[in-house]
Amino acid sequence: MKTSFPSPQSFFRQRRLRLSVVLIILIGIYVLSMTIVNFQTWTSIVKIPAGIIWLFHNFIPTERSISYLGPILYQLWRTLLVSISSTIIASLFSLVFAILGAQTTTPHPVLRIVIRFGASLLRNIPVVAWAMILLFSFKQSDFTGFLALFFMTLGYLTRAFTETIEDLDAEKLQALQAVGANYFQCVFCGVLPEAASTLTSWVLYMIENNLRDATLVGLLTGTGVGFLFDFYFKSFRYDAAGLIVLLIAILVIVLELTSTMIRRAIA
Amino acid sequence: MLKVIQLDKTYGSNKRSLKDVNFTAQPGEVTAIIGPSGAGKTTILRSVNQLIRDDSGQILLDDQDIRQANKAELRKIRHHIGMIFQNYNLISPLTALENVLHGRLGAKSTVAGMLGLYSNEEKTEALALLDEVGLKEYAYQRCDQLSGGQQQRVGIARALMQHPKMILCDEPIASLDPKSTKIVMDILRKLAKEKQLIILINLHQVDIAMEYADHIIGINSGAIVFEGATKAVDDDVLQKIYRQADDAKAVVSANED
Repeated sequence: MKTSFPSPQSFFRQRRLRLSVVLIILIGIYVLSMTIVNFQTWTSIVKIPAGIIWLFHNFIPTERSISYLGPILYQLWRTLLVSISSTIIASLFSLVFAILGAQTTTPHPVLRIVIRFGASLLRNIPVVAWAMILLFSFKQSDFTGFLALFFMTLGYLTRAFTETIEDLDAEKLQALQAVGANYFQCVFCGVLPEAASTLTSWVLYMIENNLRDATLVGLLTGTGVGFLFDFYFKSFRYDAAGLIVLLIAILVIVLELTSTMIRRAIA
Repeated sequence: MLKVIQLDKTYGSNKRSLKDVNFTAQPGEVTAIIGPSGAGKTTILRSVNQLIRDDSGQILLDDQDIRQANKAELRKIRHHIGMIFQNYNLISPLTALENVLHGRLGAKSTVAGMLGLYSNEEKTEALALLDEVGLKEYAYQRCDQLSGGQQQRVGIARALMQHPKMILCDEPIASLDPKSTKIVMDILRKLAKEKQLIILINLHQVDIAMEYADHIIGINSGAIVFEGATKAVDDDVLQKIYRQADDAKAVVSANED
């Protein structure tokens, strides 16, 4: 035992050595993959300034773009509503699934495996794929976008809620069992109040996330602000498209600030 | 009276088991279980209200065998056994008052309990109990804003809300400073005397056990090595209770040297 005890010098030497090896491997992977896809790092970097100048030249909203403000705001509003409603409906379902699927609260271990698998399946299909699949059944409508967001959110939040519930102190629930509380009372009086603030944070985060995704989904389902962007873009009205990007960014930031405020208030 | 007869318990392999545990705890008395870490103190306490199961033996509370109870009966029995913990185990975002009211859950219908529909009498009683443990002014505060000692007193009030015959205390003062320790232990002793409750308490601190307990149960490696009045505990008894762990420790440190 004693002979293998390393000196601090050799311990830190080994630490540095390990770090260097990891760095070299990462650089190697970059170089290798760039070679395979034939990507010239230097020439691409050189092109960046010209690209940015073109972008600003064409996408900066002008006085003319203001006339598009009405329809843009209207579609942005609809998109926001779709993302909020799909998140909220999905979070209700997720909460039930999470309670049934979390290790601490599951009524049966088999149910837990089924829910875990289902949630992972829903989550791992990208939202764009959801939109394209659902497009066949529900055509180009807000509802298709709603469903695409709903399924992806359901998978994501079920997982997040399950982990939140599993992270709760099991002893606190035991304390409620010890007073004679039954399963439903433990869930309602113990699990939900303990988890509430974390669950709310997840829902707020998902609303932000879904607003961003909703614009992408809109491109495919032909609805909302995403479609409007596509429409202006393809008819060379870049300034209007730029205005949309700007407004989406502003909305996302406002949403983020609001949810940070709410989170702080309930923490 | 609580009477535990021939309680046996094995955890998976062979570690932390109970071997033929027999003891009694009387109403109006503080009964302390002492012994080294891992001796099985917590296992005994949690067997009494069946938070830990799969053992053999008998646990008689007023001549009713808790181990034979079905689900509904167990819920009723648990309703009359309070329990407090080292980590208090209150629902921390809820107020002190709400946590005390949780003591009624075992007696309420599923739906009324789930939705927190408590009667006016229950609410008044909960506030009175908080007053009894000196926390009336904290009734509407979130429990995570209270100090450790205050949280433990909320835990006691929750136990009292159960109209208990017995209160199980699992290392109730292990996380408390000396001042809070005294407050909590004084309350527990008072409850034993005035309400004729059975107070069964796991303790690490021998001095506290000697000061507050009427009856001492010494446990070592899952077996009872002493049971008797506190005044019968002397250095020889303490050495017997704590011996093996110290020996084991001595062996370990000898190996390290």
